[in-house]
Parts: sequence; structure tokens; C-alpha cells
Amino acid sequence: MRPLEDRRFLFVTGKGGVGKTTIAAALAERFAAQGKRVLLTVCDAKERTSQLLGVPALTQDLREVKPRLYAVKITAERAMEEYGLMILRSRTMYSAVFDNRFTRGFFKGVPGLYEWAMLGKAWYHSIEEQDDGAPRFDVVLFDAPATGHGLDMLRVPKIITEVVPPGILRRDAERAYTMFRDPEQSGVVVVTLPEDMPTSETLELYEALTNELRLPVARLVINGVIEPLFSPEEQHELLKDRTLNRSLPGDEALSGGIRRVIRERVQEESLARLAALPVARTELPLLLKEAQTPEAVQELAALLR
Amino acid sequence: MSLPSLEPLIETRRVVLCVGCGGVGKTTVAAALALAAAQRGRRVLCLTIDPARRLANSLGLDRMTGEAQRVDEALFRQAGVQVRGELTLMMLDTKRTFDELVTRHASSREARDRILNNRLYQYVSTSLAGTQEYMAMEKLLAVQQDSSYDLIVLDTPPTSNALDFLDAPERITQAIDSAAMRWFIQAFESSGKFSLNLVAKSVALVLKGIGRLTGGGFLEQMAEFVTELNDLFGGFKSRAAQVAAAFRSPDFAYVLVTSPAPMAIREVLYFAERLSEQGMAQDAFVVNRLHRAPRSVATLTEAEDAIQRHGLTLGEGAAERLVRAVTEEQQLADLDRRHLATLQAALKSKQGEPTTQVLIPALPSDVHDIATLVGIAELLAPSARAA
Repeated sequence: MRPLEDRRFLFVTGKGGVGKTTIAAALAERFAAQGKRVLLTVCDAKERTSQLLGVPALTQDLREVKPRLYAVKITAERAMEEYGLMILRSRTMYSAVFDNRFTRGFFKGVPGLYEWAMLGKAWYHSIEEQDDGAPRFDVVLFDAPATGHGLDMLRVPKIITEVVPPGILRRDAERAYTMFRDPEQSGVVVVTLPEDMPTSETLELYEALTNELRLPVARLVINGVIEPLFSPEEQHELLKDRTLNRSLPGDEALSGGIRRVIRERVQEESLARLAALPVARTELPLLLKEAQTPEAVQELAALLR
Repeated sequence: MSLPSLEPLIETRRVVLCVGCGGVGKTTVAAALALAAAQRGRRVLCLTIDPARRLANSLGLDRMTGEAQRVDEALFRQAGVQVRGELTLMMLDTKRTFDELVTRHASSREARDRILNNRLYQYVSTSLAGTQEYMAMEKLLAVQQDSSYDLIVLDTPPTSNALDFLDAPERITQAIDSAAMRWFIQAFESSGKFSLNLVAKSVALVLKGIGRLTGGGFLEQMAEFVTELNDLFGGFKSRAAQVAAAFRSPDFAYVLVTSPAPMAIREVLYFAERLSEQGMAQDAFVVNRLHRAPRSVATLTEAEDAIQRHGLTLGEGAAERLVRAVTEEQQLADLDRRHLATLQAALKSKQGEPTTQVLIPALPSDVHDIATLVGIAELLAPSARAA
């Protein structure tokens, strides 16, 4: 499979509660350890990425939090301002447009504009160059909001290209959308769990990404995979009807075995459904300890190839 | 001592909102709550956002639609459940709700068609962040008037950020019916019809700046669209106020759903804070998907003995693997218990009187039959078996 880190822009998404932010942080750690200059962009105002990386709280000022690992917290208001200033080039013009109570309310309400500002800022960093013309970052990771909104956000550049008349906004959205669709330059990393509902949602997400938006899915990360302990014959044997006295530790162990078999079967079925997708997969083990720690993130980073 | 129960909520309130971040099992909790109320004789509408197909199937529905679909009593009887009331399910259809809103309020057929065919409307009504949340509220207000239901249980959209749900109407109305919009519309009208000299210099500058950003004509298009919508609803702003008032009514109950995952707990605490800031009650917490601890963790000998006693034919090392299965269950349960303790400590320090808390164990597989749903309903609102 094509290494993820060869792409300039990676969009990390998935249903709520699947460990998306943890995976984004682990990917950033991994790329930095490989010698890449990485930027991790986070859209959550109450970000917990810093806790996962073991660094002081992220701010809206982009900074190098670890060697080669840069991180920034993106808020819509600030991104909008930066975008405005970049385009309008003059402070006077900028103040007239943005330091105005009318326009502030307006910008906040135009559907999609704030989403574009956040995504657009991350995209801008992925095409940013240093003085010598080399790219400022090798990889930009975008830790997207959970599925529903993540998809809404990815739709925005497409909608802008369809609705907004030619101008700077449309030109930028077109450039970003073209780059997002190019599998050489960008990709979506979809994070999921080997369970029924997250799997269904992942299949739907994949469908929307590839058919509706035509965005390349670069990797499917299946988080929280348990090790199968019982063979099909043993599964069958354990599931046979029998009366257990669960107050006996031995019988409770058999009962635990049955519960495990049910989980393993759900997992097996989910993995089979996910295997039908034509996309490279990485399975990560369920951690039987606190997963929201820098140590756990390092552990996962080492497993992310 | 009685078990914590949501019974008082489902028996006395008009609307129960299940809120929480994505991936905590809100939809299942909402469906089980609705069932518990129906068992108690209420006529319940469960308005859900994104139901799992298997859950819908188990209730005898091929698929969920935007139509209200009553669950067949025969299914409950087959499952051995007594349901004295009625259970109706409906899925939120964002586009359809918006279209209905337009159709209901348009002053003429022409006005209606102008909006429904507007290109901006097509996007706003389908694929933009915030619209789903807003329409969930609109739908709720619409069904709230419907006297064929005693109780409405709403499963809120799976936002990554539970807060979006409350902010969505305000965010949209801010753009549509605000001083800003009126100011813009005026500015466009004057800049189009008169020479720029007549427009205040600052306005001209702003328009020029925005025009540079969006290209010519876009804001005019936007303004036109918004004017049209405004006409239609006689002011979105008053509507937003109406929505806001309804959501603070004592008829509404808020059930905060979380899983024991630290992220979900953080989100639910944050949301609880937002609710109290806005003068809304946090009526109950449901902690879903708690890993249950095994009753005991067997030794290797105990496991071997049990395999023999029950005459099981298992492969080599099976006893060891059985012990590992229960050991891992214990580890997951210990983690959850620790996370739950942080939630309970935070709630204790914030609240004078304790809020109802219900704990629901994790199941080895998803809920897809009536019996399991009834089991969850029983945990949410234990039936009084005394009589």
C-alpha cells in the first residue's frame, strides 16, 4: 500500500467515539518520528489533542510542539479573519469588512462559510511554501468533526464551486477541491470500530466519500480489535445450551467465554463487511488500559503503518 | 430503596430530549424510553435521526421513513410484552421538513416555488451543517401540537459537539433575520439602483471587500434569497424566540446520555453546564454501555474443572483462554468504573441535589430485537412489580 505520509493532506474522520482524535495524534507522532514535518490541525475548541501528545494546551498560534510535529487549534472566527486579511491585503479594508458588528453576525450565519474557513486554513498550510520554495509541511493532518459534520465540511468546497460566482472564494475552493480529489496529494483516513453500527455507518461514509464527493479514501483504521480466543468449533461448543451456576468462578469463566464468543462473532462479521471495501486497512488492538495518554498514543503510533 | 428511574419523566412530561455526543447509543436509549412509556399506557412518538436498520427491523418496520409508522401490537405480544399505549416511530427527514415549512407558510404558490427552486435553497435545505439540527427543532415543534401523542421522545442529531444542537437555530436566524441582513439588503438595493455616492462610504467599502472575496453577484443572490425566506416566515427571529421558549418549558425533559469513555463524559458535563447556563434543566443522566465486571475471575484450575464438569470439548489451552476472557472483562470494567467515578464526582460538586442517574450495561452485540429493547426499558424505568 502507498504510504500515507506521501500525501500532503490527510483528512481523519469517523463516527463519534471511535477514537478519531487519538488516531490523528498517533499518525502525527508516527510521521514526525519518520522525519516528516507534520502539521496537526484540530477543530475542537475544547481540544484534548495536547493531552494525548503530552504537551501544553494547543492555541490558535501554530507552533512546534515536538520535534517536527506542529499543531494548531483552528477556530472559525480566527480562520475567517486570517483568510480575509490575506485576500483583502489592506488593514483598512479588512477592518471595514471584519471589524463590523453587522458583518460578524452575517459571516457567522452564512451556512458553510465557517466550515470553509476552517478547512481552507488547513488546506492553505498544506500548499504553503518556505522561502526556498520547499513546502512548509510534508503532511497536514486535519482532525475532522465526527461523521455527520465531517462530511458536511468536506462538501463545502464542492458546494462553493457550484454556487458561488467566479471570484477569490470560488477559485480557492476549486483549487482545494481539486487537490482533495487527487489521490497522489490527499486522502481521507476513516476510523471505525469492529462493531455493527459503526460498520454500517462507515460503509455509508465510504459510499458518500467516493461516489458523491469523489474523494480518495486512503486508509481504513479499525480501532479496538480484540484477539479472537476461540476457534469456530469452540465457539459452537460454548454456545450450546447449558445451565451455568454463575456464582461458581469456573462457571462464570464459561459464561465469560460465551460473552466473548458473541463479541468475537460480531467483530468477525463487521471485519468481513469492511473487508469488502477496496481500501487498505490497518487494525489496532483494543487497549485494556487508559487510551487517552501519551504512552497509549505512542503505542498506537508504532502500530500504524 | 427504590432504583433510580426515569419513570416520573416519561409519565408527566410532554417532550423528552435525549442529548449527548455521537457514538454513545442515544438512539437506542430514546427508543427504549419511548417503549417504557408506551408500556405504561402513553401514546408515544419517537422521533429519531439516524436509526440503525436492525432496530427498525426488529420493530417490524422495513425501513424508517419521514412518515409516522405505528409499531404493530402483535409484535409486542409475540415478544411477550404488554404495551397498553402506542408506540409510533418517525425519522427526521431534513429536506422534507424544510420543504413542508416553506409550503405551509408561503403566501402564494409562486412564492413557494421561487424558494423551493432557488439554488441556494437546495443546498441550505440538504447538505449544510446546522440545517439538520434546526429542522429537528422545527419538526419537534410541529409534532408537539399533535394531540394524537401524549409524549414525544426526541433523539437529537449526532453532533460531535452536543452544543451545536442548541446553537443551530440562533446561528441560522442570525444570518436570515438580523439587523445585519437588513442593512445588507438595503445596501444592495441602494448600490444597485443608485450611484455609489448615495451609499455611505463605509458600506461601499465593505461591499467592495466582500465582492472581492465572493465574486460579483453572490451576496445579492444571497440577500434576495433571504428576503424571500423572511417574507415567508414573517420573521425568523420571532420563530427562534418561540423555539427558545419551548425548549425552556417545564414540559420538556432533558436526558443526558453518555458512555463511560472519558471524551463522552467530558462532552456531557460541558453540555450539562451549557444547559444550566441557558436555564434548562438536566433531568437525568444515562450512562450507557458500561462494561460489566464478571462475578469472579476464575483460577486456571477452576476453569479446567468447569470444562470437565460440563463435559465440554474444547481445544488445548482453553481454560487459560477462558480465564483471559474474564480477566479482560474485569480490566474493562475497572476502567469504566474509574471514568464513571469522575463523572459522579463532577456532578456532585456541581449540583445541590443529585440528578437521577441510570447505568446501562454494555451488551456483547447491538440491540436488534424487542426483548433486548424491553430489557433496556426496564433498566431506564423499572416497573413497579408490587401490585
